[in-house]
Amino acid sequence: MEVSVGKTIGRRLFVALIALGSVLGFSFGTAKAAEDGYSIRAQVRDQVRTADGKADNQPLSGVEITVTDANGEIVGVALTDAEGVVIVSVPSRADYTVSLNEETLPSGEKLDAKTPAVQNILTDSFITKTKVVTYFTGESQTVRQPGFERVAQRISDGIRLGLILAMCSVGLSLIFGTTGLTNFAHGEMVTFGGIATFVFNVTGLAFLGSLSFIPGIRPDGTFHIFWAAPLGIILGGGFGWALNKRIFGPLRRRGVGLVTQMVLTVGLSIALRNFFLSRFEGRTRPFSDFSLQRAWDLGPVNITPRDFVVSILSLLILIVTALGLRFTRLGKATRAVSDNPDLASATGIDSEKVIRLVWIIGGALAAAGGVFRGLDEQVSFDMGGRLLFLLFAGITLGGLGSAFGALVGGFVVGVMVEVSSLVVPTELKTAPALLVLILVLLLRPQGILGRAQRVG
Amino acid sequence: MDWNLIFENSLKGFIGINAVYFAIAALGLNVQFGYTGLLNFGQAGFMACGAYGLGMTAHYFDISFWWGIPLGILFSVVLGLLMGIPTLRLRADYLAIVTIASAEIIRLVVRSVKFKTYFGGSDGINGFSSTFRALGNDFGIEESNRYGFWPFRFTGRELWVLIVGWLIVAIFGFVVYKLMKSPWGRVLKAIREDEDAVKSLGKNVYSYKMQSLILGGVIGTVSGMIFALDRGSVQPDNYSRDLTFYILTALVLGGVAKVSGSIVGSMMFWGLFTFMDNFLRQVTKDPVTIGNVTIMKSTQVGQLNYILIGITLILLMVYRPQGVFGNRKEMAFDGR
Repeated sequence: MEVSVGKTIGRRLFVALIALGSVLGFSFGTAKAAEDGYSIRAQVRDQVRTADGKADNQPLSGVEITVTDANGEIVGVALTDAEGVVIVSVPSRADYTVSLNEETLPSGEKLDAKTPAVQNILTDSFITKTKVVTYFTGESQTVRQPGFERVAQRISDGIRLGLILAMCSVGLSLIFGTTGLTNFAHGEMVTFGGIATFVFNVTGLAFLGSLSFIPGIRPDGTFHIFWAAPLGIILGGGFGWALNKRIFGPLRRRGVGLVTQMVLTVGLSIALRNFFLSRFEGRTRPFSDFSLQRAWDLGPVNITPRDFVVSILSLLILIVTALGLRFTRLGKATRAVSDNPDLASATGIDSEKVIRLVWIIGGALAAAGGVFRGLDEQVSFDMGGRLLFLLFAGITLGGLGSAFGALVGGFVVGVMVEVSSLVVPTELKTAPALLVLILVLLLRPQGILGRAQRVG
Repeated sequence: MDWNLIFENSLKGFIGINAVYFAIAALGLNVQFGYTGLLNFGQAGFMACGAYGLGMTAHYFDISFWWGIPLGILFSVVLGLLMGIPTLRLRADYLAIVTIASAEIIRLVVRSVKFKTYFGGSDGINGFSSTFRALGNDFGIEESNRYGFWPFRFTGRELWVLIVGWLIVAIFGFVVYKLMKSPWGRVLKAIREDEDAVKSLGKNVYSYKMQSLILGGVIGTVSGMIFALDRGSVQPDNYSRDLTFYILTALVLGGVAKVSGSIVGSMMFWGLFTFMDNFLRQVTKDPVTIGNVTIMKSTQVGQLNYILIGITLILLMVYRPQGVFGNRKEMAFDGR
């Protein structure tokens, strides 16, 4: 019995992966054009700021740039052009050294200490075929905005991140609450939403081109983001459904331990992330609509219309989710199962049905988070994986297994991460989230809205 | 297709340095995960402690290389306490969450521009291994000479790290084996199976868990040192979440709660990985196409390999959660 169920899971997993491959895969394969050969693009910029503090860096022309290979052989020497750019083709992906002849800088200009004249390029840094090296001259004139404006701007960014995190964590927390599983592949469910939407929006599905008389489909088979996003979110819900149906449901029925399932999600995370990497490649890419916008200047805060709409939409989605959990029968059932599965099934709630619903809603919300994050920060293969630990911090803060806790916790962590970048360097702005995680576990391990009994 | 080369490289991968540092790290993880049931998903963080302990002696403190070993161990004990104090009284998942987060933060801190003076930023640290390599010379292994017989041919430099590495694997393997046979080890296994029962016998479960976490972490630290000595450098991005996950894969491939499982699992992991990698690279010398659709290019080989690792882990958990050599009963714990 056990073996036969196992076999079905394995086979279904295979089919699912192949199906996933055919949806995402082949559309990317043909989209890449020629652009053969590797090159190094060196650019020289003079750091200038306009009167109101906006960066207005000017290119410097006529600066001598030399590229040498690992043996010290010169690959190319050139002067920067009017755009301050030199492009040197290099034979292969290898280690190179780029050096700038400081004597050719215009008189009075000096290199910023952050960009020394000699810079080494390692093989691994050729993520794309062109490696960009930028030199800055002059002082880094970071004009500090007035304190209040900086705080307001960070809070506005933080609210956006917080809403996205809240959206992504609902599924993570509810899956934990209803099944006990900590899903380490949840970040990949976020990425899935972003990339699925990207496929509809940018890559396009060629066979749809002939259907362009249907509103929303463009002649090249792509969809406007308004259509692509809901499609991506629906697929995300379907993805959650499929994971439960094909993998976790059968494992639960077999009574497989939670630790085993958790390690399985680790494998799922590795497989999915590398699958995304092989098909989507390492760079970040924007959606085709609304990628460039002028920010509105709203007093202390600058926000692009896109980000504004993203915030409003995320808020709406979260309100609908919260209301649904609070008032609908299914929502109440979900919270009941999450609170106490045994008691819930004793009162006649079909817990399998609830778990299925949680995977679908969780998958769809994670996908929606991926779409919004993609609008905010572009799409990349590990956009969700990088959020995972913030999601964990959020649901722990809110209380593992509590849906409302996940909303509150995710939001607080998002705001805190952005606001903390006022104090800590931006590259370390996620570190305070770990601090919060540890403090919560020390002081109130059940989180803000969790119940003490489920902890120990 | 050059089968000779593929087999030569795979056999070398089977006993090569990657298998060595994986085996040590997997032994450490086995103490925590396999024997005690602690979900340490931050083994890469412990490994970074060791590597940076060595690196920082030269780069920042400018003291003798040998101080790096106690320094790295000190780092990992501190890290173990930091991870353990908030979580070990709670259910197992919390440790998983905190360890995965801590390891990630460690990576971000050591690669940051802010702390570049201490940790060397994203370039990492190099130039600290000469003392270690000179010692190999003293034992008569010339760095640039080639030693061995087909297929196990190594340069003197590689051979020296390998000898030291396998020696450490043997020592730790023996120590862990003996410890787990001891009364102390039996308490750990009992904690994995039923924490409350152990508590009711008057044992301090929290303290035992902490000892297990730190012991496994220190073993992981030594693995990080071997890794760093082999590369001659410390690169922050090597110590990512994925490293922990691959070590976990190697561990469950061999089998949890078995010393031989960690070691053989790591050898199998790298033997198979090298085989697939070499094989696929030869297949994709020219892009593989069906009609005019490109199925695979040589640049996608690496990712396909990692996809296969993930799928292997999934299939293992579905069919044989105890791994090749493990005992199914020892992987049945629930973590709640």
